[in-house]
Amino acid sequence: MDFKRIQKWDNELNICIRCGYCFEQCHLFKITGWETDAPRGKLILIYGMLHGETKPSEYIVNKFFECFYCKRCDNSCSAGVSITDIFTDVRADFVDAGFDVDGTTSKTNDDLCSRCGICVSVCKHEARSLDKENKKIVIDKVKCQSCGCCEAACPSGAAYIVEGWELGENELREKVINFLKEDNNEPKISNILL
Amino acid sequence: MGLVDIERLKGIIGAENVKDDKADLYVYGSDSSVHQAMPWVVVRPHTIEEVQNVMRYANPRLIPVIARGAGSGMSGQAVPIKGGIVMDFKKMNKILEINLEDTFVRVEPGVVDDDLNRALKPHNVFYPPAPASSRIATIGGEIANNASGVRSVKYGAVRDSVLGMRVVLANGDLIDVGAKTRVQATGYQLERLMVGSEGTLGIIVEATLKIVPIPKFRCLGMAKFNKLEDAGNSISEVMSSGINLSMLELMDNIAITAVNKAQNLGLPDVEAILLFEADGMAKEAVDIEIQKIIEICKKQNGFGIDLSYDAKERAKIYAGRKKLFPSLSRFKDYFTCASLADDMAVPYSKMAETAQKIHEIAKRNNVIMTAYGHCGSGCMHTKILMDPRKKSQWEDAKKAVFEIYSYVRSVGGTTSAEHGIGISKAPAFKREKSNSLNAMRAIKKALDPNNVLNPGKLMDAPDDWVTATKLRYTTQQGIF
Repeated sequence: MDFKRIQKWDNELNICIRCGYCFEQCHLFKITGWETDAPRGKLILIYGMLHGETKPSEYIVNKFFECFYCKRCDNSCSAGVSITDIFTDVRADFVDAGFDVDGTTSKTNDDLCSRCGICVSVCKHEARSLDKENKKIVIDKVKCQSCGCCEAACPSGAAYIVEGWELGENELREKVINFLKEDNNEPKISNILL
Repeated sequence: MGLVDIERLKGIIGAENVKDDKADLYVYGSDSSVHQAMPWVVVRPHTIEEVQNVMRYANPRLIPVIARGAGSGMSGQAVPIKGGIVMDFKKMNKILEINLEDTFVRVEPGVVDDDLNRALKPHNVFYPPAPASSRIATIGGEIANNASGVRSVKYGAVRDSVLGMRVVLANGDLIDVGAKTRVQATGYQLERLMVGSEGTLGIIVEATLKIVPIPKFRCLGMAKFNKLEDAGNSISEVMSSGINLSMLELMDNIAITAVNKAQNLGLPDVEAILLFEADGMAKEAVDIEIQKIIEICKKQNGFGIDLSYDAKERAKIYAGRKKLFPSLSRFKDYFTCASLADDMAVPYSKMAETAQKIHEIAKRNNVIMTAYGHCGSGCMHTKILMDPRKKSQWEDAKKAVFEIYSYVRSVGGTTSAEHGIGISKAPAFKREKSNSLNAMRAIKKALDPNNVLNPGKLMDAPDDWVTATKLRYTTQQGIF
């Protein structure tokens, strides 16, 4: 597999000293508790693939499409590694290599979709477009950041995000919202040492 | 890998708590050290009984078992150098009891340090060790490593907070060690033996920890120095003056530059700064201690001394200090911060000399090293800043590490203050403890005759840390 985009991040992957301080900020990790779902684990996997120590698989690829781009890991990284930018580039390399997984990216139920295009206009990541020839909504999985705006705006209930982590959609949503309400991006230690 | 019956393990611990995909094994083979080695399987217990059952399965089959907390260790303690089962304790994370009357807490090993303190704060008590990694570090990992942190000068290391614990032995037996009382003279202090044993003697499945009142007043001060030597001399004078302080931290110019670069904190661009703190229940008492420290710093040419009782201001500085280790990777392009010679303890009287010696050794060996640490407790940290792509830099680092620890021993210091031994500090540890290694091996043999508990660490680790495992960094041809 050609990692043409993530090659440029090789130095950043060395700068990550694997301290794991990104753990506390990642709500996906908070839910599953497996290190492979945490930003550090994903960076380790990219390093391994880039240096031929581990091979891409659907299991690995799915990890990188499971991210809500809250960017708390970026903000909490003491070494300043642009973690989600790296994830976006590795997604693009995976798509180029022919991998097709959904992760948390949004989908459209074509049977329910009225092709009104509202989801296209509300998508601030320009991940959705209307394929006029085939008369359907097309989703760019590399660009989709799983923000849920399309799902919230869709009048026909056609846009949706796949359930995951052994949780129903409502339970997942509740967990994520509660986690995001817990604190801001400031290190939580600051509350304790006061 | 053929040694482990995955289906059997799933039966013991539940299929949802077993991972054997190569991706998971690759991730769990790494921590915050320079080492990497793949386990055969990762399991995640939720109960003591599950831990016992895994041990009863693994022990007679001679399958290594490596307990893992957050994987934030810097010396490779959780890296499965001999393969085997990694036992991930993140889901065994319940706070079992907060006993304010008898001033202790009982916790499962996967409880995160900061989470515990968040739960304690409404009761105006805290668990004091506070390592820099407290946001993710688990209690089990802290105990196994005998961690400490910024407040260790007043409140001690983790060992000073541990009253007792429950431990699963290699054969699956559950034992209770220590007590719930502040003192005990009830035979061998086995809880002390478990502290710092790095998972080689037993698996900690519950801990009883001392809690103390949160002081009403804390004052943080910062003194600047144009000479590292002056800062070092201030440390030894402060510590020999009987001052009751709660923190004394050194940061040299390399550490200051890195933190400013990575976090834009605006720390002063001087050769060294000292951060000092005193705490107490009466402001007057805190002021007295702080004034004594200021007088000493001024006498040693410290200047521009700032003080703050403001919690938000203090939090900003604390956060900068706690993020120092990762920030060091930003010091120079293409350099990384390798956890090597990362921690040591030296006598107070040698602090100034040690800080200077670190820089001398670095220069002689073509690497960059920084001097910082919880100097109030005698703890000096450094890291090796190097280009990990260059094979020659690893040889340079190896020489520098050897020289650093030779020097530390020569002045009566010791190999680790709080980061533990694991793999990368094992060669220095074995030189320092040469006449007690056999005693340690006898203890290990008695408690773990099949050598299944985190084998290949401490006295049994390889003599060359560079080749002990695959390095987590890949050296590249053509870069010299």
